Amino acid sequence: MTLRRLTPEELSARSKRNLAIAGALVGFIVLVFAVTVLNLKRNIDARKDAIAAGAPVEYAR
Amino acid sequence: MTESASQSALSTAQPEDFFQLLKPRVMSVVIFTAVVGLVVAGGDLDWLSAAIAILCIAVGAGAAGALNMALEGETDALMRRTRGRPVAAGRVNKNDAMTFGVILSVFSVMLLGMATNWLAGGLLLMTILYYAVFYTLLLKRRTPQNIVIGGAAGAFPPVIGWAAATGEAPWPAWLLFAIIFLWTPPHSWALALYSAGDYARAGIPMMPVARGAKSTRLQILIYSLVFVPVAVAPGLLGLGGVLYLAVSILGGLGFLFLAFRLWRSRAGDQPDKAEAVGREAALYDVRAEAKPARNLFAFSILYLMALFAALLVESITALPGLS
Repeated sequence: MTLRRLTPEELSARSKRNLAIAGALVGFIVLVFAVTVLNLKRNIDARKDAIAAGAPVEYAR
Repeated sequence: MTESASQSALSTAQPEDFFQLLKPRVMSVVIFTAVVGLVVAGGDLDWLSAAIAILCIAVGAGAAGALNMALEGETDALMRRTRGRPVAAGRVNKNDAMTFGVILSVFSVMLLGMATNWLAGGLLLMTILYYAVFYTLLLKRRTPQNIVIGGAAGAFPPVIGWAAATGEAPWPAWLLFAIIFLWTPPHSWALALYSAGDYARAGIPMMPVARGAKSTRLQILIYSLVFVPVAVAPGLLGLGGVLYLAVSILGGLGFLFLAFRLWRSRAGDQPDKAEAVGREAALYDVRAEAKPARNLFAFSILYLMALFAALLVESITALPGLS
């Protein structure tokens, strides 16, 4: 197995790609969190409405 | 760590190269038509979910583009219009592009399903598979009808937007689908008429290559005669209003005029002389005999955008507080 030193271009490109991946992952986590909160809110609202109307409690769609 | 355990070069691909894999110009059209589908549908989707839905549809369409470029790298390298693409130019490894496309596909479909509903998520998945597998792998090289059947992939975004907003895909959503579906052949064949040499070199049986320019010009006219009434239909069926009706009729007459003029022309008869020269930006820079094809190609984009913009304007101005 031969080791070789990476060129400055390769290192720079890798750093930029790593930053882009990190940014995309953080963005994705934020989106999943937001979607989860929204779905929770929808279900809580649907539950309240169902209870108030005396209807069976179901998941919001 | 600054050393690699391999002799092979580490990729020097930049994040911008990966962004180019998403076909940003196609993505902008997808975003626009999906927004129109979502807004016209109505429904009670909150703004955050709607924004996430549009983002997912855009990323899903981009993922399909990345998969297409990964699968078509060698073919793209043979065509002047596409040889600058990241995989074709060797800036991004084929496997990296494939992985990128698969990951974005999975995440966009899952997130769209979670944020809105699984009808929308399922339609997005179907669109990605339709474009990347059915069109790119199976259709494109086998039949001159490739763009006719494959055009359905580009027609799905307003239906997905509609489904995201309401959880349903009723007939008006499919009317928007039909508009884009029938618009695609005259639009794509007009471009193919003045870049037929590229397609021939790449071995892709686009209509001008497989059936000749004369047959292509006739088929463009026939498709235009079918497309324009369908484009006007939303105005007559209550989906669009007076603005839409005016835009669709006036633009439709322009479309038919240009299609008729193209049919009468000799565009594409001498493909090597007629095609664009070199740069992708030269799509609008063609020789005199191919100008009717170039004009229809350019006008078709304007017409489609105008149709959807009219629907969007009418829907927004009908919202409470704005009318």
